[in-house]
Amino acid sequence: MRWLINIWRTLNKPAQYLTLGSISISAFLMGIIFWGGFNTALEATNTEEFCISCHSMESKPYQELQETVHWSNHSGVRATCPDCHVPHEWSRKIGRKMEASHDVWGWLLQTVNTPEKFEDKRLEMASREWKRFDRDNSLACKNCHNYDSMKWEDMSQLAQKQMKRAAELDQSCIDCHKGIAHKLPDMGTARAPELIGQVGSGVSSLQVDQSYFTALTKPLYFNEKTDVEAGTLNIATKVKVLEIKGNRAKIGIDGWRKKIGAGRVIYYDFGLNILSAQLTKDAALEEGVITTFEEQEDPMTGLKWQRVEAAIWTDTDYLLSDLQPLWDYARGTYNTACSVCHTQPDAAHFDANTWPGMFQGMIAFVNMDQDTQALVQKYLQEHSSTFDKSAH
Amino acid sequence: MSQQQSVNQARASIYQLLSSLFAKEVDHQILHELTSAQAMAFWQQLGSEPSFSHDVEMIVAKLQTLTSDKALLELAADYCGLFLVGTKHSASPYASLYLQKQASSDDDQPLLFGEQHQQMSQFLKQSQLQVQSEFPEPADHIAVMLAYVAHICVNQDLAQQCEFVQHNLANWLANFVNKVAEVDQGSFYLPLARLTQSWVESDLQWMQGEL
Amino acid sequence: MNRRDFLKGLVGTSYVVLSGSSVLAPLNALAASGAGASDGWLTTGSHFGAFKMKRKNGVIAEVKPFDSDKYPTDMINGVKGLVYNPSRVRYPMVRLDFLLNGHKSDTTQRGDFRFVRVTWDKALSLFKDSLDEVQTKYGPSGLHAGQTGWRATGQLHSSTSHMQRAVGMHGNFVKKVGDYSTGAGQTILPYILGSTEVYAQGTSWPLILENSKTIILWSNDPYKNLQVGWNAETHESYAYLAQLKDKVAKGEIRVISIDPVVTKTQQYLGCEQLYVNPQTDVALMLGIAHEMVAKNLHDKAFIDGYSLGFDRFLPYLQGETDGIEKTPEWASDITGVSAEIIRDLAKVMTQDRTQMLMGWCIQRQQHGEQPYWMAAVLATMIGQIGLPGGGISYGHHYSSIGVPSSGAAAPGAFPRNLDEGQKPIFDNNDFKGTSSTIPVARWIDAILEPGKTIDANGSKVTYPDIKMMVFSGNNPWNHHQDRNRMKQAFHKLECVVTIDMNWTATCRFSDIVLPACTTFERNDIDVYGSYANRGILAMQKMVGPLFESLSDFEIFTRFARLLGKEKEYTRGLTEREWIANLYNDCKAANAEKFDMPDFDTFWKQGYVHFGEGKPWTRHAAFREDPEINPLGTPSGLIEIFSRKIAQYNYDDCPGHPTWMEKSERCHGGPGSDKFPVWMQSCHPDKRLHSQMCESEAYRESYAVNGREPVYLNPIDAKQRGIQSGDIVRVFNDRGQLLAGAVVSDNFPQGVIRIHEGAWYGPVGEDGSKEGGAEIGALCSYGDPNTLTQDIGTSKLAQACAAYTCLVEFEKYRGKVPQVSAFSGPVEIAL
Repeated sequence: MRWLINIWRTLNKPAQYLTLGSISISAFLMGIIFWGGFNTALEATNTEEFCISCHSMESKPYQELQETVHWSNHSGVRATCPDCHVPHEWSRKIGRKMEASHDVWGWLLQTVNTPEKFEDKRLEMASREWKRFDRDNSLACKNCHNYDSMKWEDMSQLAQKQMKRAAELDQSCIDCHKGIAHKLPDMGTARAPELIGQVGSGVSSLQVDQSYFTALTKPLYFNEKTDVEAGTLNIATKVKVLEIKGNRAKIGIDGWRKKIGAGRVIYYDFGLNILSAQLTKDAALEEGVITTFEEQEDPMTGLKWQRVEAAIWTDTDYLLSDLQPLWDYARGTYNTACSVCHTQPDAAHFDANTWPGMFQGMIAFVNMDQDTQALVQKYLQEHSSTFDKSAH
Repeated sequence: MSQQQSVNQARASIYQLLSSLFAKEVDHQILHELTSAQAMAFWQQLGSEPSFSHDVEMIVAKLQTLTSDKALLELAADYCGLFLVGTKHSASPYASLYLQKQASSDDDQPLLFGEQHQQMSQFLKQSQLQVQSEFPEPADHIAVMLAYVAHICVNQDLAQQCEFVQHNLANWLANFVNKVAEVDQGSFYLPLARLTQSWVESDLQWMQGEL
Repeated sequence: MNRRDFLKGLVGTSYVVLSGSSVLAPLNALAASGAGASDGWLTTGSHFGAFKMKRKNGVIAEVKPFDSDKYPTDMINGVKGLVYNPSRVRYPMVRLDFLLNGHKSDTTQRGDFRFVRVTWDKALSLFKDSLDEVQTKYGPSGLHAGQTGWRATGQLHSSTSHMQRAVGMHGNFVKKVGDYSTGAGQTILPYILGSTEVYAQGTSWPLILENSKTIILWSNDPYKNLQVGWNAETHESYAYLAQLKDKVAKGEIRVISIDPVVTKTQQYLGCEQLYVNPQTDVALMLGIAHEMVAKNLHDKAFIDGYSLGFDRFLPYLQGETDGIEKTPEWASDITGVSAEIIRDLAKVMTQDRTQMLMGWCIQRQQHGEQPYWMAAVLATMIGQIGLPGGGISYGHHYSSIGVPSSGAAAPGAFPRNLDEGQKPIFDNNDFKGTSSTIPVARWIDAILEPGKTIDANGSKVTYPDIKMMVFSGNNPWNHHQDRNRMKQAFHKLECVVTIDMNWTATCRFSDIVLPACTTFERNDIDVYGSYANRGILAMQKMVGPLFESLSDFEIFTRFARLLGKEKEYTRGLTEREWIANLYNDCKAANAEKFDMPDFDTFWKQGYVHFGEGKPWTRHAAFREDPEINPLGTPSGLIEIFSRKIAQYNYDDCPGHPTWMEKSERCHGGPGSDKFPVWMQSCHPDKRLHSQMCESEAYRESYAVNGREPVYLNPIDAKQRGIQSGDIVRVFNDRGQLLAGAVVSDNFPQGVIRIHEGAWYGPVGEDGSKEGGAEIGALCSYGDPNTLTQDIGTSKLAQACAAYTCLVEFEKYRGKVPQVSAFSGPVEIAL
């Protein structure tokens, strides 16, 4: 009966606020609980009119919705606010209503009463909604959009590929289809939108001791709080979550580094220039960040390499449980972008250490953002003749 | 039909025949028609004119040898080498390649679809005609010009016909025939080209005599 | 009989002669109204430039440069001659003997035999039948559809993409790696500088002009080569060359052109020339390096911090490993450059900011990897890599490299590969133990010696047994070496299919020839400004397609239909939809960075301009922090010694740059007693490779006596009784050609030049019309690759080595044949 506790918590807020405004929050809540027509009231609160009458919705999200296919389409079916934002199952519905009471507070406190304030809070609000969609596996979407009834043959090749994989995993729709009914919040990065569109923005609840793969090149931090960057974590890099604090996770990166300079660069494996992470000088020298192990000389360069484990913090976003979607995206991008001018060589045509030179020398005509470039290069390296002996 | 009309009709038919033979390769249907009894009578009549007889005989003799697909294909290859892949050094069937002014620094007229093509297009347009869409060639192709003469034989007066033939066809056929003679090793298109030249010349003389 | 009687006699017989339809039809309403394609100015582009064309009476009447192209090349004047060329491939054609006998045809007849016209349906089904036969009998190793080249511009109709996607839907095939232009460079430089370099953006011209004190143009002629670009070129580099000319005149920048000949650039800039014997540049570089070390001029801190292996190179330089000290005197003997000048050069290059700008020619020779490697070593010793106006570039003569890029995203292209999840009909990947990818210039080798295993770039390549070739927008009978060897190879092929717009020599040596329309007969979209990516160009259809030619998109859509894969091929989109989608995807990629109007507005206005870019310095990031921004080499540093290459154990490409004698070299080198003259076959001044050679009126502007010019030294010419305008026979043991003499002081003794791209027009050895298909035929126009060697640069790159080529020449006194290069196949009697 968590929702009941929420109510009491709400009602125990300072009384002064209860006198503000023309709609009484207590009346609303009391009404739900004590008035006889419980279900009737619930239904009344479950209409679009009700939502936009109170919520700070009319100006922004409601108007945004009207520009999308969920408002106007050739089938004439329209999704209303509660269709997506209120669970259809009763207990969840009640829970959601209680959550919505926060929004009432927001309204009363004028948290988002200007467009600027709304934009400031948009990410937070959207994140809460996304988390909820994630939790129930986008059930609200699936009430109308069912994987089983999708007509694959009418979809584009790309859509087919992505949707089929999503269907196999019964993936949450919102993993990919964020911003489909309202404007996408500024997430601090508009990086590689196509890539993120395909692979998603990461697992919502990370598990300690589990391994994940980076979906973008990510900043590293000295601890769970600071904004001082300690380096960057390359895309498609395997990390192990050691600890989670809020929006930050402490991760472990295994690899090798060259014993040149400050030893700031961690590579995938001994003698292989496949980038995993780059640390700042301070981070590389910071006590406890890098643990060192055995050394070995690379006969190909005469350079000494050293096995290392780094333990360092990063944001909890953009960490995937599976590497394959990244490789699929990279392969598709490579085959398309690198064949504009010439036949693209097979990934296994060169070895892992030759690919950076070949790839970097050819990208002038290629439209790839930094993340995608890094991903494709890594894909080529990890599928090169170093790993795949089938070529030649 | 007056006698004059009949004569013009006959002249038109000959221009039309020559046009057809330059327009595309000899196929089974054309071969059948050209070797029918009626056609043989026609050839005989045409060959009765001494200046045509040698070439007509050669053409008829060649037609008699076209008894297999391979023989037709060989003739098609002759046609192709002469008229479909040539340059100004070979026997291309375009008036412009024979009438083009000497290339000078300021003359950048295109070689195909050039001045003669434009002129011919105008002639056709004035006669409410155009080149068939299935015949995607410039309007100064010899087949188009011959077909046009066939058309004006029955639609314009002799003076107009004479004017056209003299200034647009007769003025380059000799060069064309020389080129065909240089390039063609077969025994069909050279006599055909010569026959065309002598026919046009004799027709021109006749028209001039009639005027 | 009088004529009237004669005509009367005809009256009765003539009606029935032919029932076939006339070539004339009544004027239809559309044509009568003059509607349809309306006249006026339209926008389009080509490798030669972006430009506008005026359509008048349905034909292209006038060409003028694109507004923002301030330095247009006069090559755009040749464009009309391309479109309205008498040697257009007008209809689908099949070689007669192939039509009769299919894969068992007499292949020795290829090159001078007879074609017949067929319908598109027939041609495409023959094409498909041949592919079926090869895939069934031999599998994918029997088919090579991977030879690709410069195509015409346009992102949708890119000919090689269409061909490979469509043929790829039928079955798998052998592919190439590398290209003819930069094969050695793009293979060696990733080991040394960690990038192919040759196709990488370079330090911006404004920074070079501002910071360089000395510019070394090493075997580099940008003023000639920047006329053409990979995309629609707008020639912005020329504005910088003009500024450079100014600075040379004022003495602010010293430019030294190290080259055996006086280049067009040298003449334009009015700069110095340092003559060097052909193919001896590595020796010259070693002499300079030796002097730098001897005088302690090299930047030891840079060498220590940014490179590896100098310590293993030094013993070679100083003669400890081979007993030969690479002194300026030693170099002088080989290079023809005095020791004094070499010493001075070492000083000049190290005393102030020095930018080295390398051309591509010197890597198209035997051991072509070495001059590029050694030049990188010199630049490392100078220590200015990563500084503005310093270091080394391998691309400033190419496609506007060095012009600051706008930074905008360019439109994508029609896909070359099958879409994800699609499978070819012959889904067979069994190459029978042979290689599915071979070095680009080794395909003739492969055809001649299937099953042979060669070394290539650290691995082994086993030649597949190739039975069929498919070419589209590609003319290997221009760019490959040694025509007579090619003929031998082609005798072994069962089927050759070529798609092109004009009768290239490749078409003439094919069995099935399909007519593609020119760039100007279809709609498309392209970048303009090449590497500068200055904007997007609407390539608006002007006319046609003429005759029965079709766009690449249409040709292969029809082919895919034959395979039952039309929708897979086109994704259900039309030409217009494809172009709009390419545009809209590009618009999305540029959202919030570069304003782009909606598609219709763009198409109407003809272009979108992205604006200027920011100057940029190559390798600056590496210089700033080599640990975080390593090069793509195995070590991440410049590799003066490459352990990786060393462990390949190649005798012709050891672990550090090395001077090696060539198989043929003039000025006293091997073979010069028999054939004393070196022939350089560099990129042409008036063409893009072989593109535009067929444009008649334009060709006449430079041809000599109807032949390709051969540039000769006056003394050499006099000794042989040759004057400008004479027809000259150039020959060696590999072949012979005729060319038109241009006697010029720009060329030293023992050196001649014939630009590559001159169309091959073989005639009989004695100049007679027949015999063009035979081994030993005389090229009547002057294709230099009649004479060049078909060898790999080394076991590393196995790249084109056309520049290692000795010849002799004489005044031609035989029967002068008509130029046969620009016609279709020559007729011969059966």
